[in-house]
Amino acid sequence: MKTNIIMKVMNIIFWIVFIGLCIETGALLVSLFVTLFINSNGAEDTYMGLDLLDLYNFNVEHYIGVASFSITLSALKAYLAYLVIKLFMKFDLNYPFNEKTASVITQMSHYALSIGVVAIIAENYANRIMRQGLTLQIDWGAEQFLFFAGIIYIIALVFKKGVEIQSENELTI
Amino acid sequence: MPIIVNLDVMMAKRKMSLNELSEKVGLTLSNLSILKTGKAKAVRFSTLEAICEALECQPGDILEFVE
Repeated sequence: MKTNIIMKVMNIIFWIVFIGLCIETGALLVSLFVTLFINSNGAEDTYMGLDLLDLYNFNVEHYIGVASFSITLSALKAYLAYLVIKLFMKFDLNYPFNEKTASVITQMSHYALSIGVVAIIAENYANRIMRQGLTLQIDWGAEQFLFFAGIIYIIALVFKKGVEIQSENELTI
Repeated sequence: MPIIVNLDVMMAKRKMSLNELSEKVGLTLSNLSILKTGKAKAVRFSTLEAICEALECQPGDILEFVE
Protein backbone atom coordinates (compact mmCIF):
# COMPACT_ATOMS: atom_id res chain seq x y z
CA MET A 1 0.00 0.00 0.00
CA LYS A 2 2.75 2.40 1.11
CA THR A 3 4.86 1.38 -1.90
CA ASN A 4 1.96 2.10 -4.27
CA ILE A 5 1.52 5.59 -2.80
CA ILE A 6 5.26 6.29 -3.13
CA MET A 7 5.20 5.01 -6.74
CA LYS A 8 2.25 7.28 -7.57
CA VAL A 9 3.90 10.32 -5.96
CA MET A 10 7.16 9.64 -7.83
CA ASN A 11 5.22 9.23 -11.08
CA ILE A 12 3.64 12.66 -10.56
CA ILE A 13 7.03 14.19 -9.69
CA PHE A 14 8.60 12.79 -12.84
CA TRP A 15 5.71 14.08 -14.96
CA ILE A 16 6.39 17.53 -13.51
CA VAL A 17 10.12 17.15 -14.21
CA PHE A 18 9.40 16.00 -17.78
CA ILE A 19 7.04 18.90 -18.48
CA GLY A 20 9.53 21.33 -16.91
CA LEU A 21 12.37 20.04 -19.08
CA CYS A 22 10.18 20.23 -22.21
CA ILE A 23 9.36 23.84 -21.34
CA GLU A 24 13.07 24.53 -20.77
CA THR A 25 14.02 22.99 -24.14
CA GLY A 26 11.31 24.97 -25.90
CA ALA A 27 12.26 28.20 -24.14
CA LEU A 28 15.95 27.76 -25.04
CA LEU A 29 15.03 27.07 -28.69
CA VAL A 30 12.74 30.10 -28.86
CA SER A 31 15.34 32.25 -27.12
CA LEU A 32 18.02 31.19 -29.61
CA PHE A 33 15.73 31.95 -32.54
CA VAL A 34 14.68 35.34 -31.11
CA THR A 35 18.29 36.33 -30.33
CA LEU A 36 19.58 35.40 -33.78
CA PHE A 37 16.74 36.69 -35.96
CA ILE A 38 14.68 39.23 -34.04
CA ASN A 39 16.40 40.95 -31.14
CA SER A 40 19.91 40.22 -29.88
CA ASN A 41 18.90 41.34 -26.36
CA GLY A 42 17.08 38.00 -26.08
CA ALA A 43 20.45 36.55 -25.02
CA GLU A 44 20.29 38.58 -21.80
CA ASP A 45 17.65 36.29 -20.31
CA THR A 46 17.89 33.00 -22.23
CA TYR A 47 16.02 30.93 -19.66
CA MET A 48 15.55 31.37 -15.91
CA GLY A 49 17.99 34.28 -15.77
CA LEU A 50 20.78 32.71 -17.85
CA ASP A 51 22.64 35.70 -19.30
CA LEU A 52 24.56 34.97 -22.50
CA LEU A 53 24.59 38.51 -23.90
CA ASP A 54 28.32 38.96 -23.24
CA LEU A 55 28.99 35.70 -25.06
CA TYR A 56 26.79 36.81 -27.97
CA ASN A 57 28.62 40.13 -28.24
CA PHE A 58 32.00 38.36 -27.94
CA ASN A 59 31.38 35.81 -30.67
CA VAL A 60 28.05 34.81 -32.24
CA GLU A 61 29.35 31.37 -33.25
CA HIS A 62 30.36 30.59 -29.65
CA TYR A 63 26.93 31.76 -28.50
CA ILE A 64 25.25 29.41 -30.99
CA GLY A 65 27.55 26.61 -29.81
CA VAL A 66 26.78 27.10 -26.11
CA ALA A 67 23.05 27.54 -26.79
CA SER A 68 23.03 24.38 -28.94
CA PHE A 69 24.71 22.39 -26.17
CA SER A 70 22.15 23.71 -23.67
CA ILE A 71 19.26 22.77 -25.96
CA THR A 72 20.68 19.31 -26.70
CA LEU A 73 21.31 18.54 -23.04
CA SER A 74 17.88 19.81 -22.04
CA ALA A 75 16.21 17.69 -24.75
CA LEU A 76 18.18 14.58 -23.73
CA LYS A 77 17.25 15.14 -20.08
CA ALA A 78 13.58 15.54 -21.08
CA TYR A 79 13.75 12.21 -22.95
CA LEU A 80 15.39 10.58 -19.93
CA ALA A 81 12.54 11.86 -17.74
CA TYR A 82 10.10 10.44 -20.32
CA LEU A 83 11.84 7.05 -20.06
CA VAL A 84 11.42 7.17 -16.27
CA ILE A 85 7.71 7.86 -16.74
CA LYS A 86 7.53 4.96 -19.23
CA LEU A 87 9.25 2.75 -16.63
CA PHE A 88 6.72 3.71 -13.97
CA MET A 89 3.87 2.97 -16.37
CA LYS A 90 5.21 -0.49 -17.32
CA PHE A 91 6.43 -1.47 -13.85
CA ASP A 92 4.37 -4.10 -12.06
CA LEU A 93 5.50 -5.14 -8.58
CA ASN A 94 3.81 -8.54 -8.99
CA TYR A 95 5.86 -9.25 -12.10
CA PRO A 96 8.88 -6.94 -11.89
CA PHE A 97 11.44 -8.80 -13.98
CA ASN A 98 10.24 -8.58 -17.55
CA GLU A 99 11.89 -7.80 -20.89
CA LYS A 100 10.17 -4.42 -21.34
CA THR A 101 11.33 -3.09 -17.96
CA ALA A 102 14.86 -4.37 -18.52
CA SER A 103 14.89 -2.76 -21.98
CA VAL A 104 13.70 0.64 -20.65
CA ILE A 105 16.31 0.59 -17.87
CA THR A 106 19.04 -0.26 -20.41
CA GLN A 107 17.88 2.63 -22.60
CA MET A 108 17.99 4.94 -19.58
CA SER A 109 21.62 3.99 -18.88
CA HIS A 110 22.55 4.67 -22.53
CA TYR A 111 20.87 8.08 -22.54
CA ALA A 112 22.37 9.01 -19.16
CA LEU A 113 25.81 8.11 -20.55
CA SER A 114 25.11 10.22 -23.67
CA ILE A 115 24.12 13.17 -21.48
CA GLY A 116 27.31 12.75 -19.46
CA VAL A 117 29.49 12.61 -22.57
CA VAL A 118 27.76 15.61 -24.23
CA ALA A 119 28.03 17.53 -20.94
CA ILE A 120 31.80 16.82 -20.76
CA ILE A 121 32.22 18.06 -24.34
CA ALA A 122 30.14 21.16 -23.49
CA GLU A 123 32.22 21.82 -20.36
CA ASN A 124 35.48 21.55 -22.32
CA TYR A 125 34.05 23.89 -24.96
CA ALA A 126 32.97 26.37 -22.27
CA ASN A 127 36.43 26.16 -20.65
CA ARG A 128 38.05 26.97 -24.02
CA ILE A 129 35.81 30.04 -24.31
CA MET A 130 36.64 31.11 -20.73
CA ARG A 131 40.39 30.90 -21.52
CA GLN A 132 39.75 33.64 -24.09
CA GLY A 133 38.74 35.95 -21.23
CA LEU A 134 34.98 35.46 -20.96
CA THR A 135 33.08 34.36 -17.82
CA LEU A 136 30.64 31.53 -18.41
CA GLN A 137 28.92 30.10 -15.34
CA ILE A 138 26.94 27.11 -16.55
CA ASP A 139 26.79 23.83 -14.65
CA TRP A 140 26.25 21.04 -17.18
CA GLY A 141 26.31 18.30 -14.52
CA ALA A 142 28.60 15.89 -16.42
CA GLU A 143 29.96 14.02 -13.41
CA GLN A 144 26.51 13.53 -11.91
CA PHE A 145 25.12 12.03 -15.12
CA LEU A 146 28.12 9.76 -15.64
CA PHE A 147 27.74 8.50 -12.07
CA PHE A 148 24.00 8.02 -12.64
CA ALA A 149 24.69 6.19 -15.94
CA GLY A 150 27.07 3.79 -14.16
CA ILE A 151 24.58 2.98 -11.41
CA ILE A 152 21.68 2.54 -13.85
CA TYR A 153 23.81 0.26 -16.06
CA ILE A 154 24.53 -2.03 -13.10
CA ILE A 155 20.81 -2.05 -12.25
CA ALA A 156 20.01 -2.88 -15.91
CA LEU A 157 22.42 -5.85 -15.74
CA VAL A 158 20.77 -7.05 -12.52
CA PHE A 159 17.36 -6.73 -14.16
CA LYS A 160 18.45 -8.72 -17.22
CA LYS A 161 19.71 -11.48 -14.93
CA GLY A 162 16.43 -11.26 -13.00
CA VAL A 163 14.49 -11.72 -16.25
CA GLU A 164 16.54 -14.83 -17.07
CA ILE A 165 16.01 -16.30 -13.59
CA GLN A 166 12.30 -15.45 -13.65
CA SER A 167 11.70 -17.03 -17.08
CA GLU A 168 13.60 -20.15 -15.96
CA ASN A 169 11.47 -20.23 -12.83
CA GLU A 170 8.30 -19.92 -14.88
CA LEU A 171 9.38 -22.84 -17.07
CA THR A 172 10.16 -25.00 -14.04
CA ILE A 173 7.28 -27.46 -13.61
CA MET B 1 17.21 -29.93 -26.03
CA PRO B 2 18.88 -33.31 -25.25
CA ILE B 3 16.22 -34.33 -22.68
CA ILE B 4 12.96 -35.44 -24.30
CA VAL B 5 9.73 -35.71 -22.32
CA ASN B 6 7.67 -38.71 -23.44
CA LEU B 7 4.63 -37.77 -21.41
CA ASP B 8 2.19 -38.19 -24.31
CA VAL B 9 3.50 -41.75 -24.92
CA MET B 10 2.85 -42.76 -21.30
CA MET B 11 -0.51 -40.99 -21.29
CA ALA B 12 -1.53 -42.94 -24.41
CA LYS B 13 -0.37 -46.23 -22.80
CA ARG B 14 -2.41 -45.53 -19.68
CA LYS B 15 -5.28 -44.12 -21.76
CA MET B 16 -5.27 -40.93 -19.75
CA SER B 17 -6.19 -37.50 -21.03
CA LEU B 18 -4.37 -34.29 -20.18
CA ASN B 19 -7.31 -33.12 -18.07
CA GLU B 20 -7.34 -36.32 -16.02
CA LEU B 21 -3.59 -36.18 -15.49
CA SER B 22 -3.81 -32.52 -14.53
CA GLU B 23 -6.42 -33.31 -11.84
CA LYS B 24 -4.47 -36.29 -10.48
CA VAL B 25 -1.10 -34.53 -10.39
CA GLY B 26 -2.37 -31.12 -9.28
CA LEU B 27 -0.76 -29.19 -12.11
CA THR B 28 -2.51 -26.70 -14.37
CA LEU B 29 -3.20 -27.67 -17.98
CA SER B 30 -0.83 -24.97 -19.20
CA ASN B 31 2.05 -26.30 -17.06
CA LEU B 32 1.41 -29.86 -18.23
CA SER B 33 1.28 -28.60 -21.78
CA ILE B 34 4.66 -26.85 -21.30
CA LEU B 35 6.08 -30.14 -20.03
CA LYS B 36 4.49 -32.21 -22.80
CA THR B 37 5.70 -29.94 -25.59
CA GLY B 38 9.28 -29.95 -24.31
CA LYS B 39 9.36 -26.24 -23.43
CA ALA B 40 10.05 -26.83 -19.74
CA LYS B 41 13.52 -25.85 -18.52
CA ALA B 42 13.38 -27.84 -15.30
CA VAL B 43 11.16 -30.31 -13.44
CA ARG B 44 10.88 -30.52 -9.69
CA PHE B 45 11.28 -33.95 -8.11
CA SER B 46 7.90 -33.47 -6.42
CA THR B 47 6.27 -32.97 -9.84
CA LEU B 48 8.08 -35.98 -11.32
CA GLU B 49 7.00 -38.07 -8.33
CA ALA B 50 3.35 -37.03 -8.75
CA ILE B 51 3.40 -37.76 -12.50
CA CYS B 52 5.04 -41.19 -12.00
CA GLU B 53 2.48 -42.04 -9.31
CA ALA B 54 -0.41 -40.99 -11.55
CA LEU B 55 0.90 -42.83 -14.62
CA GLU B 56 2.27 -45.81 -12.64
CA CYS B 57 5.65 -45.60 -14.31
CA GLN B 58 9.33 -44.87 -13.73
CA PRO B 59 10.99 -41.49 -14.35
CA GLY B 60 12.95 -43.13 -17.17
CA ASP B 61 9.67 -43.89 -18.94
CA ILE B 62 8.91 -40.19 -19.15
CA LEU B 63 12.39 -38.68 -19.54
CA GLU B 64 14.79 -39.70 -22.29
CA PHE B 65 18.26 -38.42 -23.09
CA VAL B 66 19.10 -38.03 -26.76
CA GLU B 67 22.51 -36.84 -27.92
